[in-house]
Amino acid sequence: MTSLFPRGAIRPSSIASTPRQLAIIATHTQPTHRGTAVATPVDDNIQTSRRFSVLNRPPPLYPGHIPLTRLERVSLALGSGILSLRNPYRADLIAACGEALSVPYFIYRLRDAMLSHPVGRRILRDRPKITSTSLSLPHLRSLPPNSLGRTYVNWLDREHVSPDTRLPVRFIDDEECAYVMQRYRESHDFYHSLTGLPTVREGEVALKAFEFANTLLPMTGFACLSVFTMKKQERKRFWEIYGPWAVRNGVNAEEVINVYWEEEMATNVDVLRKRLGIETPPDMRDIRKRERDQRRKEKGEREKMGMGV
Amino acid sequence: MRPLVSLRTPLLCHSCSRLVWRSVKGQRGYATTTTTTTASEREIYDVVCVGGGPAGLSLLTALRSNPTTSSLRIALVEAQDLSKVASWSLPQDQFSNRCSSLTPSSARFLNTIGAWSHMERSRIQAYQEMQVWDGVSGSRISFDGPSTSQDGVIAYMIENLNLQRGLLKRLSELRDGVNIFDTARVSSISHGSVLSSGHDLTSWPVVTLSSGTSLTARLLVGADGANSPVRTFADIPSRGWDYGRHGVVATLQLSDEGWGGADFKTAYQRFLPTGPIAMLPLPGPFASLVWSTIPSNAALLKSLSPVDFTSMVNAAFRLSTVDLKYMHTLSSGQTSEYSWRMEHNPHDPFPVPPPVTGVQEGTVASFPLRLRHADTYISPRVVLIGDAAHTVHPLAGQGLNAGQGDVQSLASTIEYAVSHGMDIGSMLALEKYNAERYFENHAVLGVCDKLHKLYSVGSGPVVGLRSLGLKAVSALRPVKDFLMKQASGNGFKLF
Repeated sequence: MTSLFPRGAIRPSSIASTPRQLAIIATHTQPTHRGTAVATPVDDNIQTSRRFSVLNRPPPLYPGHIPLTRLERVSLALGSGILSLRNPYRADLIAACGEALSVPYFIYRLRDAMLSHPVGRRILRDRPKITSTSLSLPHLRSLPPNSLGRTYVNWLDREHVSPDTRLPVRFIDDEECAYVMQRYRESHDFYHSLTGLPTVREGEVALKAFEFANTLLPMTGFACLSVFTMKKQERKRFWEIYGPWAVRNGVNAEEVINVYWEEEMATNVDVLRKRLGIETPPDMRDIRKRERDQRRKEKGEREKMGMGV
Repeated sequence: MRPLVSLRTPLLCHSCSRLVWRSVKGQRGYATTTTTTTASEREIYDVVCVGGGPAGLSLLTALRSNPTTSSLRIALVEAQDLSKVASWSLPQDQFSNRCSSLTPSSARFLNTIGAWSHMERSRIQAYQEMQVWDGVSGSRISFDGPSTSQDGVIAYMIENLNLQRGLLKRLSELRDGVNIFDTARVSSISHGSVLSSGHDLTSWPVVTLSSGTSLTARLLVGADGANSPVRTFADIPSRGWDYGRHGVVATLQLSDEGWGGADFKTAYQRFLPTGPIAMLPLPGPFASLVWSTIPSNAALLKSLSPVDFTSMVNAAFRLSTVDLKYMHTLSSGQTSEYSWRMEHNPHDPFPVPPPVTGVQEGTVASFPLRLRHADTYISPRVVLIGDAAHTVHPLAGQGLNAGQGDVQSLASTIEYAVSHGMDIGSMLALEKYNAERYFENHAVLGVCDKLHKLYSVGSGPVVGLRSLGLKAVSALRPVKDFLMKQASGNGFKLF
């Protein structure tokens, strides 16, 4: 055999054109017994479990990325998970827990769900970011009352929240999956306005249950554990009303991640719900208010009776 | 009828010539009232081969080139115009889309019968490496040439037409040639009658052509493909199933010859859940594509513009199955999808084929994939070879080679029968061929079938297990070598 490129030579076609490809070749090329440089397959699972020690942490794969070792990832998931159960207002911990738990498999599944859908693909291609400036809130306020945009703004106003409080993704290695996580995070508020669930703990847990049934992200299922930290009344409501609603709707609805919210602002929210297959749950704020009033009334009556005695 | 070479004497086999000459000369036999014409009696052959494909032509060449069997009187019936095959030629930068991979042992056989030197060698491409990987998990196995062949060749890619033309050239070179009835359709096959001479030909098959010519055969060879009329005549059932897949073929233009240049070429095959896609090297920056896929995908691929088709082929070797599934739903625009996905797909540039830059016009075609195996290859005075006997999934490139194995075995069976004075049409003589080939082909069919089924699974534990299995085979050098030898036809005789 007279070959221009003896077996030990690097094949010309393997010369990487981008620094990213170079990095991959460097980490995955290993010599074999016959001297040929044979690259091991770079599939999703292998890429997420690249092995390195804390002493030679590789450079970030995208701005803001922090590569973690396996041990770091596990401890991050456990630590942030336990702490966020104790203090559900720590959005940063919930975010970190969500990222650490999303690999292997789950975030790839969500990305593949997007890649299988024409709109999901368009979102991945355009990579829109949801911020108060990109959405132009004044414009949304001018939309008809039943439109998604108006419902969303009303919800923002009612809950006193802003779309700018979302943290960037840091711990997911694949940059496209990082975007998927980012998109999920930014869509969360739209899930709220689509379902009408409030940002109080009870509403968040119900929505997380819905998200778990819909996106399968482990963090959302993990968050449902906080149902055990809720008050008795709330827990009862979760098991009787919101839990079953969440599972039924989450499973039956389309993948809600594939909604291009920016393009649906003028859409009638009921039409959108119908298209996605989501039914609105009973208004949680109403129920809570009614119960609160009831309690207050009972308390007042008790006090009155006590005074009477 | 168009004899390639004039016949020296019409009847050559000893027993045959005794029988018929006497009857023609009227030296022996009963005086009967029938006035059978001499002409129809003259159309008695030792071997009538229906089908002038690679298997049929190789058999005739093998018989003619062997001194023991060269005196048999042989006829070939073929529906195509063989003079077109004999004069076939294409420029050096164009290739037919019907290519086959010839293992070194098939090539050696063709060399033994003197046909190899008549092939246009500049259109044959040897390859020395094979990269096979799982499209779902990415686990991979690479084969290099078996240690048995000194130049490390795994197989040769050859256009079927080049092979047929080479065989025809070799046949015409041989002293006696064969009676070729081409552009002839078989209108019926029946049994013969009692001749005026009193000879009982009722067990002899008679092939009647649409032109009215009747050919009586001592041994009728069915090399007439998957829907074999000969097999139907012999009433041999053929069992199997359709895969519900189509093989899409095309001749591809590549960006370069590959990393090894002209002297070291690689064949690539990726198993996708819809079926394997294979790119097999041709001389220069060209390759032959065989893409097994579901019929709707095949229809879409055939309808795509050349640019989008090219992108789909590139995508099929590089992108995830999710992307491929989506791209199969688009009627156009695959190119832009492909270039976008490649930005986010950190694949290895190493073990995938060179990028495809174009597809040769008019070469995209498809055919249905099936598994068929005849219950037996022989019946009195009838024998089946090649696709008439067995049809295999193309994933291991074994179809043509199984046919060559049949030819080799049948030629030696006939040689044995002739040299021992046996009737070559008798079951006693043919039994050896069936015994040699049936189980060997059955094993090849079975292995290809199981591989197809194993890799049709798109997700779940099967993917993990098969990836583990592939890694194990890849790591166990002796197992890998064994498989390699079996696939190249140099292995142990298992059956």
